[in-house]
Amino acid sequence: MQEFIKEQIIVRTVSKFFTPFIQLYAFYVIAHGDLGPGGGFQGGVILGASMILYVIAFGMDEGRKRVSQKISDIFVSTGVLIYAGIGLLCILAGGAYLEYAELPLGSHHLASHLGIYGIEIGVGITVAFVMITIFFETAKKERKK
Amino acid sequence: MFDIATIAVIFAIMITLYRVIKGPMIYDRVLAANAIGTMAVVLLVLIGFEYSRPHFLDLAVVYTLINFIATIAFLKYREKGRLD
Repeated sequence: MQEFIKEQIIVRTVSKFFTPFIQLYAFYVIAHGDLGPGGGFQGGVILGASMILYVIAFGMDEGRKRVSQKISDIFVSTGVLIYAGIGLLCILAGGAYLEYAELPLGSHHLASHLGIYGIEIGVGITVAFVMITIFFETAKKERKK
Repeated sequence: MFDIATIAVIFAIMITLYRVIKGPMIYDRVLAANAIGTMAVVLLVLIGFEYSRPHFLDLAVVYTLINFIATIAFLKYREKGRLD
């Protein structure tokens, strides 16, 4: 076991060092979706990629300690729930589905901005955990062979 | 200025592409593909300056991160025969 850790020391150290920066960048991409390139989907993919890098470096068991099956299942549904919830709130506030400007958050401009922001966060959570789930399933299949 | 640099980088990518196609070992190919990825990042930044669109820098950073992860994943799969 000790030699196994020594064998991969460069990959493990570099990925441990890089993972927080990748996640920070993912949040930047999600938050700046309406100003620059990017948005919920792209930020979610980067967030998932950070976890994939961690699993590649440290193995599946160590990765499952960080993101268990239960947590990833819950978060995959939570993102969709946020998306649909904001859409339905817009209907309740008197607009059409996903018509953010009708949300009761002060001015129309602010409501529209915050509505898009919430949608991006929901999409980001779902995409990140779907990517992690796809990777785990693929890696499990390769391992069985 | 930037257009000359862009042409130079494209030329360098073509030279490296020769190593990807011809490379006798798989490690030559992986290393050359990784170098092409790095040069693609430089190309993105240069094109961003050429058309004065600074948003291209964001894309360049994303490409760096994903390129790094892809290379590590490929080498791990090659060495161990599995991904985790």
